[in-house]
Amino acid sequence: MWKFIIRRLLITFPQLVFLSVLVFIMAQMMPGDALTGLIDPTITAEALDLQRERLGLNNPWYIQYADWVSGLVQGDLGQSFRFKMDVTALISERVMNTILLSAVSLIFTYIIAIPLGIVSGRYNDSPLDSVITGYSYLGFATPIFIFALVMLWIFGFQLGWFPTSGSVAPGLESGTMEYYISKLYHALLPGLSIALISVVSTIQYLRSEIVDTKQKDFIVTARAKGASENRVYNKHIFRNSILPIAAFFGWEITSLISGTVFVESVFSYPGMGLLFLESIMQRDFSVVTSLVLLFGAASILGALLSDIILSIVDPRIRIK
Amino acid sequence: MSFLEVKDLQVYFPIKGGIFNRTVDYIKAVDGVSFELEQGKTYGLVGESGSGKSTTGRAIIGLEEVTSGQIFFEGKDITDKKAKNKNFRKDVQMIFQDPYSSLNPRKRVLDIVAEPLRNFEKLSKQEEKKRVQELLDIVNVSTDSIYKYPHEFSGGQRQRIGVARAIALKPKLIIADEPVSALDVSVQAQVLNFLQEIQKELNLTYLFISHDLGVVKHMCDNISIMYKGRYVEQGSTKDIFENPQHIYTKRLIAAIPDIDPKNRDKQFKFRQEVAKEYRESYDTYFDGDGLAFGLQSISNTHKVALPEKG
Amino acid sequence: MEADTVEIVEQKSPSSLSILLRELIRDKLALISLIFLILIAGFVFGLSLFLDQAEIVTVDLFAINAPPSDQFILGTDYGGRDVFGQLIIGTRNSLAIGILVTLISGIFGIAYGVVSGYFGGHVDNALMRIIDFFMVLPFLLIIIVFVSMTSNYSIVSFSLIMAAFSWMGIARLIRSKALQEKELDYAQASKTLGTSNFNIIFKQVLPNITSLIIVTMTLNLASNIGLESGLSFLGFGFPEDTPSLGTLLSYARNPQTLEFRWWIWAPAAILILLLMLSVRNVGEALRRAADARQRRG
Repeated sequence: MWKFIIRRLLITFPQLVFLSVLVFIMAQMMPGDALTGLIDPTITAEALDLQRERLGLNNPWYIQYADWVSGLVQGDLGQSFRFKMDVTALISERVMNTILLSAVSLIFTYIIAIPLGIVSGRYNDSPLDSVITGYSYLGFATPIFIFALVMLWIFGFQLGWFPTSGSVAPGLESGTMEYYISKLYHALLPGLSIALISVVSTIQYLRSEIVDTKQKDFIVTARAKGASENRVYNKHIFRNSILPIAAFFGWEITSLISGTVFVESVFSYPGMGLLFLESIMQRDFSVVTSLVLLFGAASILGALLSDIILSIVDPRIRIK
Repeated sequence: MSFLEVKDLQVYFPIKGGIFNRTVDYIKAVDGVSFELEQGKTYGLVGESGSGKSTTGRAIIGLEEVTSGQIFFEGKDITDKKAKNKNFRKDVQMIFQDPYSSLNPRKRVLDIVAEPLRNFEKLSKQEEKKRVQELLDIVNVSTDSIYKYPHEFSGGQRQRIGVARAIALKPKLIIADEPVSALDVSVQAQVLNFLQEIQKELNLTYLFISHDLGVVKHMCDNISIMYKGRYVEQGSTKDIFENPQHIYTKRLIAAIPDIDPKNRDKQFKFRQEVAKEYRESYDTYFDGDGLAFGLQSISNTHKVALPEKG
Repeated sequence: MEADTVEIVEQKSPSSLSILLRELIRDKLALISLIFLILIAGFVFGLSLFLDQAEIVTVDLFAINAPPSDQFILGTDYGGRDVFGQLIIGTRNSLAIGILVTLISGIFGIAYGVVSGYFGGHVDNALMRIIDFFMVLPFLLIIIVFVSMTSNYSIVSFSLIMAAFSWMGIARLIRSKALQEKELDYAQASKTLGTSNFNIIFKQVLPNITSLIIVTMTLNLASNIGLESGLSFLGFGFPEDTPSLGTLLSYARNPQTLEFRWWIWAPAAILILLLMLSVRNVGEALRRAADARQRRG
């Protein structure tokens, strides 16, 4: 197992380097540089050049890359020209919202998917199973932004049960109980929208895993010993099938990111996804590249975490 | 100059492991095999599965990488993959064990048999069709069936289509890798006799790989017995069957069923002796790792793997 | 003589495509989906020949946000543009780009996967590491960045950007299949017959994995239609004067439109759903057919 983890860690490092190079190239391709954001009409072109020289923007690319990376490591992501503030500070304002939204949607996903998957797998080919399978079939074909729009339209506008935009009701003081409740309340509908779509893969995984395990010899043996049906399921089948699911969330991060971008856009929810879309519309490129980098690092580390957890839970994966 | 000469051939497969997936050890599939083959003769390679006999054949034709050693064909060194030029490809062909997987299921018989022709000869559609029909005629498959697909044939017919493909370029050497072991016993003899017929007609040389001593006795002029990648005994068919020296060879021969009831007692006694010798003098025949020793000549044609004396 | 030999071929050995089609027709839901798709495609491609895209996307300030009426079957949007006309042209554009992206990414992915699987060893190792890197990228964001940076923006460049980040799945699938396939005796036999690697890959191995390719490409088509409409929805697809189904949906990002003017976005939403569902139905039915055929073979 240690061998697997070390080997997996060794792959992660070049992945991060590759991501940083890609983002760096993207940043170089974008119009403008770190100074564009600071431009003050009174500064002359010569002064600007001097400033460029001082900041090392005329250096060869590899030195610039090295400077950029060492800045990253120290948490310096550059300046946002739209907000006239450090990108790091700007992002940390938004990051909590996105984490809250992701947490809500992950919790909903597990609350919904695990019971449905178990029912669907245990009573496979029953009418109930057909309903669940039908739902997951539809869910697979439904783009998340359409689903989120429909959710917003029904529960936000037509029924008025949930707020239709923002992450907190205006006028609440940060730190109060009402503030936190309002935050959670605002995250519920978008989180549920992501969850109802993302449950389908977990449901399908659980179902096929349980249906598979049911026919294995050790289950037949357990039955033959006279174990009750509930005992067979609780002790033998679910334990084997549910543990790996705990590890999936790391892999889900990539799809969660796309999900939050769409859903934050639909619900005007001020998280990192919306910040990304706003920044790219307004050509605030230092923010854009920083976000790509952060999201990318999150998916790489998420996949790493999942692989490691899974290698602990499921010995089969270590063999490959 | 001999027709085909193999000198100290070794084929090792790496075992990967460790954090960096480096090679940690080797499986010695073929470990120092040498033999010579005369044109027009049939040379048998016999051994149990995993003994390296197929790997030897596949290394000669270039399907496996040679680790060390040399292979000469008509005096030319063709050990290296790059040395296996067009002429060699044309002159050496292979018949595969499994007639069900060795023919592409998506191709018609015409395309299958014409594949080598298309690679080496520029023929018009009409000429190509004519050649394919001639070849099918040689192997006794109905010439009307050129537009059929492999699944429409029986195992024996498929194997004969495989043979038609192998002889399409008029090769000199055919490596036959267990050509009949996937076939029904009733069809085996038919295919074997047929292989002997075309050998005479086309002056073919066979490297005949098999685990079945009975088949080999029927087909071959010279025989080598392989065990765990090494030779245990090598000699003419007569040497091997009438004067087996190595205990492994003896055991193989003792295992051939004899249907003549008159020989039953003799056979039984022979088996008992072999079993006794195996129990008592295993160490004389195998080294500490259970592998065979180097070959020692005991006559002009006959070599046996025994520990060096003195 | 030619004629009757051809007949033998046709009755005795149906191609993988015709087997798949036959199985498809047996599957009611998939058949309905297929007919629906053909009708929709025929309808939008046919009708868009008679529609004047320039006229439809011209802003008409006297007919802003009109509800459905005799003049505008599905009303108009905030620019007074006919929603029905945009729906037709949008469906055509979405389908066209979906197909284009599927083909580009498919052809590249197949070539990549089959080369990787066939040659194996170090080549395979290197190619697969590259895929591993691509797979963990937040591709949606990167596509958006590239789209917003491309100055000379057209259907082709848009498709290329999308395809650049969607070829990995099919490449992996084809690679693992090619890895199995090349070990089979028929591929080994081709080597001993002097057939070049190129011919073995494209003439021997590929024909044996066509059903897998057809199935995967169909399922990819569904997800590419979804991806394109998603990008257009976010405002990073086609410009407004080249409507796609996502463009119509993007109007619903305006709360007023979402709440009160359903005719602008609901038809497009339903159409996207139906299209993706139908394509998936066909794809899943093809997959079942391909599996059954493998069991029988």
